[in-house]
Amino acid sequence: MAELPFPLPDLGEGLIEATVLEWLVAVGDTVERNQPLVEVETTKSAVELPSPQAGTVVRVHGEPGEVVKVGDPLIVFEVPDNTAGIVGTVPQDHAPKRRVRLSPVADDD
Amino acid sequence: MGRHRDHLVEGIDPHLFVEEHSPAEESTFRPVLLLHGFASSTKLNWHDSGWVRALTDAGRRVITVDLPGHGQSASPEERDAYAPSRIRADLLQVLQDSHVIPLDESQPASGVDIIGYSLGSRLAWEFGATQPDLVHRMVLGGPGSADPLADFDLAAAQQYLADGSVIHDPSTADLLRMARLVPSHDVFALLTMVEAIKGEPFSAAEAVPQMPLLLVAGEKDDRAATMPELAALSSHAETLWLPGRTHTNSVTSRAFKTAAIDFLNG
Amino acid sequence: MSEQTATAEGTAPVPTEPESHLEHLSMQQALNRALAESLAENSKTLIFGEDVGRLGGVFRITDGLQQRFGADRVFDTPLAESGILGMSVGLAMAGFHPIPEVQFDGFAYPAVNQIICQIGRMNYRSRGTLPMPITLRVPSFGGIRAPEHHGESLESLFAHVPGLKVVSPSDPHQAYHLLKHAAQRPDPVIFMEPKARYWQKGQVDTADGGTLEGARVARSGRHVTLIAWGAMVARCLQVAELAAEDGIDVEVLDLRWLKPIDAAALALSVSKTRRAVVVHEAPRTSGLGAEIAALVTEQCFNVLKAPVERVTGFDVPYPSGDLEDEYVPNIDRILFGIQRVLEHRRG
Repeated sequence: MAELPFPLPDLGEGLIEATVLEWLVAVGDTVERNQPLVEVETTKSAVELPSPQAGTVVRVHGEPGEVVKVGDPLIVFEVPDNTAGIVGTVPQDHAPKRRVRLSPVADDD
Repeated sequence: MGRHRDHLVEGIDPHLFVEEHSPAEESTFRPVLLLHGFASSTKLNWHDSGWVRALTDAGRRVITVDLPGHGQSASPEERDAYAPSRIRADLLQVLQDSHVIPLDESQPASGVDIIGYSLGSRLAWEFGATQPDLVHRMVLGGPGSADPLADFDLAAAQQYLADGSVIHDPSTADLLRMARLVPSHDVFALLTMVEAIKGEPFSAAEAVPQMPLLLVAGEKDDRAATMPELAALSSHAETLWLPGRTHTNSVTSRAFKTAAIDFLNG
Repeated sequence: MSEQTATAEGTAPVPTEPESHLEHLSMQQALNRALAESLAENSKTLIFGEDVGRLGGVFRITDGLQQRFGADRVFDTPLAESGILGMSVGLAMAGFHPIPEVQFDGFAYPAVNQIICQIGRMNYRSRGTLPMPITLRVPSFGGIRAPEHHGESLESLFAHVPGLKVVSPSDPHQAYHLLKHAAQRPDPVIFMEPKARYWQKGQVDTADGGTLEGARVARSGRHVTLIAWGAMVARCLQVAELAAEDGIDVEVLDLRWLKPIDAAALALSVSKTRRAVVVHEAPRTSGLGAEIAALVTEQCFNVLKAPVERVTGFDVPYPSGDLEDEYVPNIDRILFGIQRVLEHRRG
C-alpha cells in the first residue's frame, strides 16, 4: 500500500486559505472518488470538497475551526500500490488458458 | 441543460439560466426547485456546497435557476425584471418548461418541492403562498420575517461605490461586501434588484404558504434571528437550528441537507 | 556482468564480494529510476508533460521527481500536445535534453505535426548542426481496459518517419536500460511504454544492461520464431511455454527497436528455425508485421518452410476496454499462427 496525500486545492479567485467547518469522513473510512470529504469556508462562501481519489483515509489535517492554506496537506489516502492511472484497470497476470493444441512437427530436411 | 429560456413572460424574455439535473437512479420522486440567495448563484449556493449532488443521489430531479443579475443569467437594465412579483412569474414559466404538473395525489411525481436560501427563501415563501396547487413542501434556509434588502441603504452604497465613503449601516456594508466578492457579479445589477425589492418589500404575514415548511438556520445567523416569528405565521412549520453555523456557512451543513431530504420525503 | 579480469598464470584471483546490482522492481519503478538518474547525470535534462510534475504522472512514472529536482526541471504543461512537442524542439535547439511525456498514446495525434515535420527533420534540415536529443515517452498499447484514445498502437506511424528512432521495452530490466540509453542519445527517440506491463515486477540489473542496440532473444528455440515487442513479448513467452508442452520449441525474439529494425537478428533467428510468426497489437494493414515479413523473406527466402504469419489486431480503430480481449492477439490466436506455419507444405 502507498500513501497518497492531497493538498487543499486552489479554490479560485485569489483565495489563499479556508477554514475547516466539518469533516464528512473519518480516519479509516473507505471513500469513493467524488464522495464529499469536508466542508470548508472561505472569505467568500462555504464549499463541500469532493474526493479526487478512491482510497482509505489515513490522516486528515485541520480540526473544525482551523485554517488550512491552499497547497498545504488536507487529507492522506492509502491506496493499493497497483492502482492504475486516472483511467483503466491494472491487468492481472493469471495462468494462461488455451484451447489450441499444436501438432508435432516433422523436420525431415 | 443550461440554456436560457426563450419563453416570453409578460411579454419579455427573462434570459434566465436554468439547469435540470437527473437523479442518480431512476425514481418516482417529484422534482426539487432550488432558489439561491442574494449575491450568490446556483454554482455557489447549490453546486459547490454539495446540494445538487446530495439531492440527485437521493433520487431527486433538480431544477436550478440563476436569479436575474446573478450567475449566468442576464442582467437586464430595467428595474422591473428584478421585482419579486416578476421573478415569481418567471419561476412559474421555468416549472412549466420543466414539465412540472399540478399536485395530484394519484401521481407521486406531481408538483414540486422547493428549497430556498436567504433571498431564495423569501421568494419561495411568496411563490408557495401563491401556488398551493403546485408546491408540495418547502425547506427555507437562513430565513427571517425581516427584509434586509428592503432596509438596504441604497444611497450609502452608491456613495461608497462613487467615492469610497464609509457605509454606516453594518447590514448594508455586509450585503455590499458579499455582492462585490464574486468578480463575475454586476454590482449595479444587484443594486437594481435592491431597488426593485424596496418597491415590493417582504411582508410575510400578507400571504402565508399553507404546505408543510421546514425552516433551517445557523445558531449564529444574525439574518435569521427572526426565523421563529416567520415559523409562527404557519401552522405547518418546523424549525431546525444548526449549532455554530452562520448565514454564510450553514449552506454546506450535512445536518441541513439530511434534514431537508428527510423532510421533503416525509 | 563485468568481465573477469585476467590474472597472471598460477596466481589465484582474490575473491571479492561482488556488489549486488540486482533489484526487484516494477516497470513503473524501473522507469522512474531511469528518469531520476537521467536528471541527476545531465543538468540539461528536463521532464515535462501533463500532470508529470505535481501529481507525478497518471501512471506514477515521474513520481517524486519534481520534489527531488525542482519545478524548473520537472514541470506540468497545459493540455496541449502540440505545445509540449513544439517546446521540446525549441529546448533541444537551445541545448537541452527534453524527455516530454504524452499522457496517453491517443493524445499523440495533436502533436504529429511537431513530431514528423520538426523533430524528425531538424537534424537533416540543419545539415547535422541541430540534433534533436528528445526522448518522447508515450504510454502505449492496450491491456488496461481504458476508454477510447487511451490505448493505441502507433509504432508503424512513427517508424515510417525518417529521422525518428522507435523503441519499446518489454520488461523492467529492458525499460530501465533502454530509457537511460534513449535519454543519452543525440537523436529523437519515441519511447513506447507498454501500459499493460507497468505493474509487473522483474529483476533489474542496474549495473549491466548488456547490448542495448538491436533485438534480443528472449527465449531460444528451434522450430519457430515468434517476433514481438512491448506487451506482446510476455504473451509470446507464455505461448512458448504452452507450445513446449506439445513438443514445439519456440524462439521468442524481442525486437525492442522498431526503427531501425534489427534485420540481422531476424535473419539469424529465422535461418535457424525456418519459420516466423509476427505478433502485434496494431491493425494488420501496413502494420510493422508487413515490414518484418518483407525483411525475413528478403533474407531467408531460400530456407523458409512457410510464408511469414502475422497475428495482429484488426483493421478497426483500437476498441475501448470492453472489446479489448477480442482485439488484442490472444494465446489461442498466436498458437493458431504457429500451427499454420508448422502445417504449411510447399506445393
